[in-house]
Amino acid sequence: MLHLRDVAKRYGAVPVIRNVTCTIHPGTVHLLLGDNGAGKTTLLRLMARLASPTAGTVEYDPPSRQCAFLGHAGFLYPGLTALENLRFWRDAQRLPKSDAHLLELLDRVGLAAHAHRRAAVFSRGMAQRLSLARVLLQQADILLLDEPGTGLDAASRTLLHDEVKQARDRGAAVVLITHDVAQDVRLADRVLLLRNRTLAYDGDVGGFQEAAA
Amino acid sequence: MIRLAKAMARKDLTLVLARGNGLAQALLLGLLLIFVFSLSREAGQPVTPQEAATVFWLSSAFCQVLVFNRLFALEETGEARLGLLLLPAPIQAVWLGKAIAGFCLLLLAQVCFLPAAVALLGQDLSGPLTEGALALLLVDLGLCAVGALLGALATGQGARESLLSVLFFPLQVPLLLAGIKLGAQTFGLSLPDGPGSWLRMALAFDGVFLGAGLLLFGFLYSGDA
Repeated sequence: MLHLRDVAKRYGAVPVIRNVTCTIHPGTVHLLLGDNGAGKTTLLRLMARLASPTAGTVEYDPPSRQCAFLGHAGFLYPGLTALENLRFWRDAQRLPKSDAHLLELLDRVGLAAHAHRRAAVFSRGMAQRLSLARVLLQQADILLLDEPGTGLDAASRTLLHDEVKQARDRGAAVVLITHDVAQDVRLADRVLLLRNRTLAYDGDVGGFQEAAA
Repeated sequence: MIRLAKAMARKDLTLVLARGNGLAQALLLGLLLIFVFSLSREAGQPVTPQEAATVFWLSSAFCQVLVFNRLFALEETGEARLGLLLLPAPIQAVWLGKAIAGFCLLLLAQVCFLPAAVALLGQDLSGPLTEGALALLLVDLGLCAVGALLGALATGQGARESLLSVLFFPLQVPLLLAGIKLGAQTFGLSLPDGPGSWLRMALAFDGVFLGAGLLLFGFLYSGDA
């Protein structure tokens, strides 16, 4: 589990997040919603511990839990091929996966035919699928996905949904930022809604839909 | 930690060597420096071993700045730095990997600079070669340890090249001094006190820079994204 207690974040004098308290549960897909500038990405980065809170705490329980992060940039090296990118992240994390497994993964995201092409020549959608393969490779306990559907076509979005469901089924906690609420709410178990820089709703999907109606 | 460091170094060397991502500029600048200095003398006028060693290490120092600037820029394109910060390994592994890659690239450049210095500056390798090689390795080790540390400091800065140069050169002075003295000996100059004190100085600064890298890299590299 991941606990946030009274978390606040400000950049200089500008407050971005204030008084956020919530728990991210394993085996659950959390939809993180809010208007542009509501602080969703900042909150996700705080959860990933890529940023330190100005106040409050972010705790992993147990502390050894690992998270995978898919942000607006995909953590890819444009000069490396798709396979080399996955090899690097595999080796960096000491994952006991063979090249055959990496090729399977590329096949799963529809990039098998492009395994030996440099990421620099990939379209936005292809790069996003390669980033998704990097996240899936890790088999992390917590998946933090910041608008992962951006740039994906319909088939790739279906693939993304399948992978998110699989991650939930193996017990991973998933936090998903999206603007396509109608599509992605079907995936979700819980909703976190940011409004006025704080958490306005934290509950199940049914309650959120009732409140919205 | 070692595994991540190896993966980092392998990835960086692949990008720089196999994909032509930046070494050519560093090599050309170093060679140009040696060539231009060779023109500063009248024909037949000898270049002293100490002058030749100074030009050799000046080329190496400029090359090192460009190499580490390039190595740390590799993580900026796809925000891969953030991915590295999430890895379940000590972040010092990134410093070690960058230092190893930088060391290999600097040595490779010096393999080109040395014959250029010998040929263009009229030197011969008449001094003790074992001590010369040991000095080269010790000085390079310190330069790369501090290069990988300060490269992290300049990450994401608009004026990265200038910042790196300003930070690098004052810190490098003791190592460069040792390199110049020991290099001059390799080119045939006799050192009155022998090479021992210069080798010990290089070793001491290696220790300082390696320790500083291990202790400080995490603070410099893992600031708020």
